Amino acid sequence: MRPRDTLTPDQERELEAIDRALAGEPVEPDLRELEELVLDIRATAPEMTPAFAARLEHEVGEGFRTPREQPALVRRPGRRWLALPALGSLAAVLLAVVLVLGNDGSSEFGTAGSGTDGDVGAVQNESREDAPATGDEAAALADDATSSGGGSGAGVTEDQPAARQSAVPPPPPEPAPAASSSARAKSAPAPVTPTRSARKVERNASIAIETPKGEFDTATDAVNAVVARFGGIVASSQIGASDESGGEATFDLRIPTSKLDAALAALAKLGHVTERTQGLTDITGSFTSAQDRLTDARAERRGLLRTLERATTQAQIDSLKAQLRSVGGRINGLKGQLASLKRRADLATVNLTVRGTGESTQTGGGGEWTPGDAAGDALRVLEVLAGVLLIALAILVPAVAIGGAVALGVRFGRRRRREAALDPA
Amino acid sequence: MATPLNTSTGSFDALYRDSARDLYAYVRTLLGDDAAAEDVTALAFERAYRRRATFDADRGNQRGWLFGIARNAALDELRRRKRAAPLVGELPDETARAPEEEADLAVRRTTVRAALANLAPRDRELVALKFHGGLSNAELAAVLGTSESNAGTRVHRAVAKLREACNAPA
Repeated sequence: MRPRDTLTPDQERELEAIDRALAGEPVEPDLRELEELVLDIRATAPEMTPAFAARLEHEVGEGFRTPREQPALVRRPGRRWLALPALGSLAAVLLAVVLVLGNDGSSEFGTAGSGTDGDVGAVQNESREDAPATGDEAAALADDATSSGGGSGAGVTEDQPAARQSAVPPPPPEPAPAASSSARAKSAPAPVTPTRSARKVERNASIAIETPKGEFDTATDAVNAVVARFGGIVASSQIGASDESGGEATFDLRIPTSKLDAALAALAKLGHVTERTQGLTDITGSFTSAQDRLTDARAERRGLLRTLERATTQAQIDSLKAQLRSVGGRINGLKGQLASLKRRADLATVNLTVRGTGESTQTGGGGEWTPGDAAGDALRVLEVLAGVLLIALAILVPAVAIGGAVALGVRFGRRRRREAALDPA
Repeated sequence: MATPLNTSTGSFDALYRDSARDLYAYVRTLLGDDAAAEDVTALAFERAYRRRATFDADRGNQRGWLFGIARNAALDELRRRKRAAPLVGELPDETARAPEEEADLAVRRTTVRAALANLAPRDRELVALKFHGGLSNAELAAVLGTSESNAGTRVHRAVAKLREACNAPA
């Protein structure tokens, strides 16, 4: 209570006298003058005209069937702000759901769990690995085909440019974007034209899965099937004890790079993924360097061959042939290097570990959906719900506090504006 | 939780019969204009009728709630006109209306009217709510949005000014 609101005993006595006088009760003799004033004020109260009283009585009796026209009165603005808390709550819940779901998806990347591959962008960028080979690459492959006979003196004739062209036709020219039909240009994205600078990327992945009790053998057997399905090979494998208590198996796999993601997804379904990592190594530099050195070596050999045609002495011929053998050896070495690099780009290395835990898994197993799985799913749903509620509360509490303060301010301001009409002009 | 006003016609009718005269007197004193007072009084009853489901008994009684609605409508009307109610000059002629009353009573009430008309609008509204509307201090506090003790203090202050004005030499 504010100090200025405190009434003195005399003031309280007078207020009580006023109330008694208004109620028609007697007041103390010394306050008769106040009583008269009260009665006089009461007596000056304006009264309704009979016509208005009758009209009002009629409207009340009819239940105000006809809405009153109020052109002369200020219409109260609608309380649309009352809908703000509801809209705010809805927005908070939606935001929380987005945050939780977004976080849920990203948290599994590269860590334990069976989430989707988080390296999607990189994988998509690497899809050009499947594009037709470049001219240099085709030449290297042609060299691979023609050099099977060795790089000694016999190779001298094989490396004649004309002979190479006839033996191994050049790869079909890449359709240039400008040469594509208009229909194709409209129906598909512009083709990526492979260039000498196309990236060569070596991919590798490591995945560890756990299998439920009694499914270890099934899982290890299924690995071979999965690898074969995606055109890969099992480079090596080691399978430990596989009794009911579990076991451990490791696989060194080679999977076509273009099918790596699908293969990983299939492998992940063999059990509960406990670890998953992926990596990229850009080998474009090594590949380009080897190509350049191969081109230089070929040019050098062509020069030696031309010199050999013009040689007149046996000593010159012998010397040039020796040089040609040396260059041929270098060319073969570079071809092998290029082929190795290409294989690294084409085949991804996957290290797979399968562990039999000897326990039943809750989720992610390849088996039937069990009550345990259901309990796990239910727990996960509850966790997500709790997260949504927590985030929503974190947003709602301050929002409601601010909204409440604003609402109070609006209400106070509206009252002040109204009561300003009572102030003298 | 809001305790809605009994939506039966009988309950609202009882509120109307109990408050109509006092409400009109308050609004008329505040606005100082018969036509506007009638409009605002009728509008207040209509609003109360349409909003009777929103009445919350925990926040006051029906009478205070009705006067709150009427006050808002009256203040909006005053705001629209952008002027305080000119009460002087619109006073009914007491002597002409009540020839049978004693002369000193008629003079006294005319003096009270004049003093009331010369009060500041805020004080005049308090007097109108208290004496014409017949509100208790608790109802006044609910209508004014203040505490009961503050409402009592303000009423006492307004009455003191009115007494002073009535006793002032003409």
